[in-house]
Amino acid sequence: MAIIEVNHVTKEYRLGALHGFKQTVHNTLARLRGHPVPERPLFKALDDVDFKVEEGEVLGIIGHNGAGKSTLLKMLANISVPTRGNVKVHGKVAPLIEVGAGLVGDLAGRENIYLNGAILGIPKTEIKRKFDEIVSFAELEEFIDTPIKRYSSGMKVRLGFAIATSADADILIVDEVLAVGDLAFQRKCFDRMEDMIKRQGKTVLLVSHNIRQVERLCTRVLMLDRGKIAEDGAPNIVCNKFLEQNNIKIKALHDRNVATSQIPSQEITLVGTDLLDDEGNITDKVKFLDPCRIRIALNVLKPLNNVTFYIGIHTTDFVYLTANNTAYHPVDLPTGRHEIELRLNSMTLLPGVYCFFLWVGTPEGRTSFREENISCFQVISSDYAISRQRDRAVTYIPGQWKLPGETRFIES
Amino acid sequence: MLAAIKNLYDYRELMAALAWRNMAVRYKQAYLGLAWAVLKPLMLVLIFSLVRSFVGIDSGDIPYPILTFAALMPWIFFQEAASEGVSSVVGNANLIRKIYFPREILPLASVVTKLVELGINFLILAGLMVYYHMSPTIYLLWVPLIIAYTILAVLCISMVGAAMNVYYRDVATALPVAFSLLMYASPVIYPLTLVKEKLLVNQAAGEWSNFLYTIYTLNPLAGIIDAFQHVVLRGTPPDISSMWPGMVLIIILLPISYVIFKRAESYFADVI
Repeated sequence: MAIIEVNHVTKEYRLGALHGFKQTVHNTLARLRGHPVPERPLFKALDDVDFKVEEGEVLGIIGHNGAGKSTLLKMLANISVPTRGNVKVHGKVAPLIEVGAGLVGDLAGRENIYLNGAILGIPKTEIKRKFDEIVSFAELEEFIDTPIKRYSSGMKVRLGFAIATSADADILIVDEVLAVGDLAFQRKCFDRMEDMIKRQGKTVLLVSHNIRQVERLCTRVLMLDRGKIAEDGAPNIVCNKFLEQNNIKIKALHDRNVATSQIPSQEITLVGTDLLDDEGNITDKVKFLDPCRIRIALNVLKPLNNVTFYIGIHTTDFVYLTANNTAYHPVDLPTGRHEIELRLNSMTLLPGVYCFFLWVGTPEGRTSFREENISCFQVISSDYAISRQRDRAVTYIPGQWKLPGETRFIES
Repeated sequence: MLAAIKNLYDYRELMAALAWRNMAVRYKQAYLGLAWAVLKPLMLVLIFSLVRSFVGIDSGDIPYPILTFAALMPWIFFQEAASEGVSSVVGNANLIRKIYFPREILPLASVVTKLVELGINFLILAGLMVYYHMSPTIYLLWVPLIIAYTILAVLCISMVGAAMNVYYRDVATALPVAFSLLMYASPVIYPLTLVKEKLLVNQAAGEWSNFLYTIYTLNPLAGIIDAFQHVVLRGTPPDISSMWPGMVLIIILLPISYVIFKRAESYFADVI
């Protein structure tokens, strides 16, 4: 039987502020007289979300900011109720929605452990039993009798996490908590989570922006987009979709910048840039390892002699990656419109968002035109094993492997 | 109803912890600490005694200071438990937004907090009784019942008030004003016997007198304070005739207050 059932849940919020007294009286009178009253517009934070979680499943929930992740968790933790639909949870829930909620600054660490334990529904006897373990996990032995308003923020988070994870619950709801503390403590939290998941067989719902973490811990991933379930399935497939979507967003953001970052030149203006696939169709996505073409249209304002072109690719944070130039083929450009095209044989950049760079000038180095960010494009791959590499590396060099016990090279 | 009480029982540790937190936070960095709980009624007794020396209030055969102190004990308990209860939900917004527990724990924890302070005031009351050579009687056994009744009166206000305060913060702001009015409408500065004498014996308001007295005793505090003074100072059982209108009111209001609170509860996290 499913341990969590979410049945067609919709959650609506009214936008805008509560009416003041005058407006409320006015509206009430209008309603009594049968006049229509302007309603504040509704915002659907969740829109017909429907899924089930089986016992022992580790479900990752990913999505952009405002996709409805936290709203969903609030429904599951019974903090908020759906506008329509219902949520059934069979078992005790330990919400780690924000560790340290309810810590009181004036109280000492010791007192806070008991208080926070009570808030999380941990019986006092159990807290007593686990007290030393909590303190040592939080590495606060020295400071346990100090009021926590004197703690550093890291210390508070450690204490909060240690208490929250000592609750004996069937279902753990985790919202971004692992993104706190220093690296060593993050590691510790991660290990503790992994222990709870893998050895204690708990059902876990994990919300995180750290895709690698989600992919590693979860057995199933749900992607929310504007309140709807966009994807639901195996971690590698859903995470790949998410990274791709993420890149689309980054690209959109950069495309807006393109229009604004043009610096006027006296000699050449840029008319247009098109990215083409190998058949010559305009596109903004290139499949990993596929060929592609970039076509640039220029308007030359003064006749230029002996010019060469240089087209490069850089990342969205301006790390230059490639350079193709025509240093050995200088040309003369009369005034008027000209087109140049560069064909790249194989897109070996890893899936992500990249931008083109154009330089026009003489081989001696006199610059006629120089512009970064002239066009953004996205490299895509349906293979998550490839997509996930992007946060470690930017490019891929095709190669072959010879593995132990093999006599021949195999494709990587 | 029973399920609701059982649910509360399951969360008794949380209620105790929150009440303890309320106390600890208030007194932790205060030099006088818990003494404040006692200082407030004592100061008021002093002021009232001073005022009385000008206007003259007949306190019968009981010394005025101990009579007002015995009136202030249930009054301050009622007033502080109710106003703290009303702000309890908004005051714990961080918990409401993050963690589930039955929300009525919060106004209840405020009651428990104030019960402790009331307990401390009993020590002072005992001291005063020794000073005025008064001895306790068997009727002291009524005290727990009277306090329980006061708690119901507190919850009438604090549950509906806490729920409304989430939507309109005006409630918590308006409350002190309402309470200072209510104090004059309750037999705190003057004993109930004076009102009774004026209305029931002298029929000061003519044919309306009896009706006015019923209206006056509709305020549960009238009955509570009077009953408290009866069982503690006079050594007589409570006067039910001054209590029943207030009781009827509470029997009607308490379920309404509870239902309003429970209805609003699920939206606290969204609105707060």
